[in-house]
Amino acid sequence: MNGDSEGIQEPFDLIRLSLNERVFVKLRGDRELVGVLHAYDGHMNLILSEVEETIMLVDVEGESIPASQRRINVAKRKMEMLFVRGDGVILVSPPSRA
Amino acid sequence: MLIFSLFKTLTDQTVTVELKNDLSITGVLKSVDQFLNIRLDNIKVLDEARHPHMMAVKNCFIRGSVVRYVQLPAQHVDTQLLEDATRREAANQAKR
Amino acid sequence: MSTLQGYIDRRVLLVLQDGRTIVGVLSGFDQRSDIILSQCKERIYSMDDPVEEVPLGLYLVKGDQILLIGEMDEAQDNAVDLSTIRADPIAPIRY
Repeated sequence: MNGDSEGIQEPFDLIRLSLNERVFVKLRGDRELVGVLHAYDGHMNLILSEVEETIMLVDVEGESIPASQRRINVAKRKMEMLFVRGDGVILVSPPSRA
Repeated sequence: MLIFSLFKTLTDQTVTVELKNDLSITGVLKSVDQFLNIRLDNIKVLDEARHPHMMAVKNCFIRGSVVRYVQLPAQHVDTQLLEDATRREAANQAKR
Repeated sequence: MSTLQGYIDRRVLLVLQDGRTIVGVLSGFDQRSDIILSQCKERIYSMDDPVEEVPLGLYLVKGDQILLIGEMDEAQDNAVDLSTIRADPIAPIRY
């Protein structure tokens, strides 16, 4: 297999072609990141810059209310340069080409 | 290996380690090993009033597996170099 | 693993993955960061009661249960009156 070919033969090729592009990362604990991907390894450890993190928090007070109707609070924060440990990563999505 | 090498280049820089229990610790990176266990000097726990447990702790060893994020000093990270190294490592992986 | 070497024979604070905190003297460690702690005392934190210290003796702790090991500044630790401290325990790790 030619590692330099532009084709996508295996899942990690999709991430390789997203280097220096803005990617969407879904993490454990209802967290999401959007940032520019600069490095990754086989554990899905990532280095991202210009990161915006979104944390989804469901209101705990309304426990009598059905889960589907509970209010979801969203917390956002920005980080310049971030190492993300791979064991928390659920998915990495390349930039939309739309 | 790639990310281990990056951390080694950041020795003596100030970083913030965020753990999987939401605790954040800022300190000077003293050393890192292959498991990405981290030694920090001169540490400060975020929201100290709620976390007096580590008041008398000046430096610490953090187990790599409990780390969620490490915030890095952007000016000391060469992103071009990282991308090239990542492509090289991916190509080596494909050859095996 | 070079990173724990400097803590040998020092008084350290051990934080476990479930948030428990133990102070003791680091007697040894290995590759997997399994450790031997002597003169252990667990420090139990609560919002309602003062910090309680429970003597535990000599412990071997498996590396995968460890969250953090910190070197204690003994003078600073002795200067703290634990009976005045009220705090929630450290939160457990959630994967």
